[in-house]
Amino acid sequence: MGFKPHLRGEGGKKIMSQLRRDPITGRWVEVAISNPKKCDEFDMKPQVKKGGTCPFCPGNEKMTPPEIEAIRDIKTRPDTPGWTVRVVSNKFPALKIEGEIDKRGIGMFDMSNGIGAHEVIVENTDHNKDLADLTQDEISAVISKYKSRSLDLENDARFKYILLFKNHGEAAGASLEHSHTQLVALPIVPKRVKEELKGAQNYFKYRERCVFCDMIAQEQQEKERIIFENRNFIAFCPFVSRFPFEMWLLPKAHSSEFKSIDDSAIYDMAGALKEILSRLKLRLNDPAYNFIIHTGPIRDGIYEEYHWHLEIMPKLTNVAGFEWGSGLYINPTSPEITAKCLREACAAK
Amino acid sequence: MPELRRDPVIGRWVIISTERAKRPNDFNIEHTDEPEMECPFCEGHEKKTPTEIFAIRKPGTKKDTPGWNVRVVPSISPKFKIEGELDRRGVGMYDVMNPIGAHEVIIESPRHLTDIYQLSELEIQDVINTSIYRISELEKDIRFKYCLLFKNHGLKAGGSKKTKHLRSQLIATPVTPTRVKEELRGSRFYFEYKERCVFCDIIRQEIETGARVIMDTKTMAAIAPFASRFPFEIWIMPKIHRADFMNMQTDEIKDLADVLKAVFAKLSKALNDPPYNYMLHTAPFRRSKRPGYWHTIEEDYHWHIEVMPRITQVAGFEWGSGFYINPTPPEEAAKYLREVML
Repeated sequence: MGFKPHLRGEGGKKIMSQLRRDPITGRWVEVAISNPKKCDEFDMKPQVKKGGTCPFCPGNEKMTPPEIEAIRDIKTRPDTPGWTVRVVSNKFPALKIEGEIDKRGIGMFDMSNGIGAHEVIVENTDHNKDLADLTQDEISAVISKYKSRSLDLENDARFKYILLFKNHGEAAGASLEHSHTQLVALPIVPKRVKEELKGAQNYFKYRERCVFCDMIAQEQQEKERIIFENRNFIAFCPFVSRFPFEMWLLPKAHSSEFKSIDDSAIYDMAGALKEILSRLKLRLNDPAYNFIIHTGPIRDGIYEEYHWHLEIMPKLTNVAGFEWGSGLYINPTSPEITAKCLREACAAK
Repeated sequence: MPELRRDPVIGRWVIISTERAKRPNDFNIEHTDEPEMECPFCEGHEKKTPTEIFAIRKPGTKKDTPGWNVRVVPSISPKFKIEGELDRRGVGMYDVMNPIGAHEVIIESPRHLTDIYQLSELEIQDVINTSIYRISELEKDIRFKYCLLFKNHGLKAGGSKKTKHLRSQLIATPVTPTRVKEELRGSRFYFEYKERCVFCDIIRQEIETGARVIMDTKTMAAIAPFASRFPFEIWIMPKIHRADFMNMQTDEIKDLADVLKAVFAKLSKALNDPPYNYMLHTAPFRRSKRPGYWHTIEEDYHWHIEVMPRITQVAGFEWGSGFYINPTPPEEAAKYLREVML
């Protein structure tokens, strides 16, 4: 049975929303349930590509730092056309790759020099095609590069965490419009990741089950928040969605590290990603979004209690002072409504 | 070389770019003059808001009529409802609760002003006194655990399209928000180890080094924090250790009003009226029956105000990792703000 909202409060007054608690991080979110915003109430302006000279287009390979890896025709040389997916260093890296880590204190404050890797994965040659427009095989090739870069950077003992993320559209922080994903290797484990790990560990301590596996089971039982499922992957709008149309994509088989994904799972992940991104694009007129792969820290071994996954956050609302200050999010719509909306959106072939 | 800096309270890391640092002129804040709707918060329009909860008004004037300096009303579109019971329950593995809470608007001036520095120091003191009064009133409702005072200035900061009228908001919640808990936990951890308040240590070190100080008065200091997440982030902190905003004394209220006026005037001038959020971080309402739960909070926690200009896009990287990239070192931000002539 699906979850039925509690509609009446004291004196028969309608209760318009509900506070929901994330079972992993303990974060509370207020979700509108009895009078939520409908899908067509979110203002969207379609993204307009400005064009112009693009460093990621074929023929402009010299405009980027030298290529790290590429899927290319064997007859072609690096930094020339003939590639389909190309990995380069970020021209304006947030962190620098050279040097030793130098952690130190300044009085009571702690700091370190900014050692890390910052790479860009150019997903395809066509300036006007987004990830959602690629074929399942093409997306598989992109994901296989996520994997090979993760495996390669893991060999560098200075790094503790590899973060893969995508900013799509200006409102989501994309500075270049040619579709790309970014990878940052960090010398520390970021706080958000630590919180998630700790939450998952607390849940496991008590129940000896993975919180994400439990979540998949409950979603499959209730069905109303599921958007898409194939053999290896499931996509749903999480019960505790912070943002309208937030979507999570999880491997059904328990695994704590993204990098251990095999080829058949990569193919299914590509299929599911294409499906949900196309539906989002179609239904909401190509909104800006961010996605982030949440995976375990490197060299930490395998976690029984953690489950890697991908979180997609469309940028449809402005995060205001209240959310920033409290970490308590207010979602003007409900995941039950957005999931239905996305299920019914006819995906592009 | 970029630097990684760690916030001493909650342990969040921030990347500070030291090369190609962004200066105020690099941010190019633009304003489009969109027409505002008729303002429900101006003097004379009292009937357009829900009934007044509290006001500082001239003797002899009646509720919901002109003659006030600061006026508090329930939010027109409340995020939380005041009526009802909490009703905590589980749905399978998930926990849910009714969103019982209070959501009030503090209208900070009867005139149609848009930023706090446009008020006089005395008027700002009225605003502070009103905030203190409302928070202590909300504390009396045992359903509430926390009260958040905040301001959304400008559209990018979540401000309203309809009116820019100067106001702040108060939300009392039945749960302690996670961000607040993190800070409480962080400061308690520091205290257990050092038996000193982490915020007092921050103030002491900042005033000694001076590089990140924007303003320093007898009882209040405004600094650009060492691990600033955003360009021109500002913390306003009392120099006298206090866990609760509500316990401020008269001389502190006076100094806070002076600091608010000067800091926001400088920020507005330096960055061409940037959108910003600020929020009050104060100790939660303390009524837990668990022995020892709030044992050290009076000593380990220290109220303060955090101001976050919203002039950069927070992208996927920041969201996913809680790891921020700040293109303006706080030392430079503080220097610019110190040098802005009013």
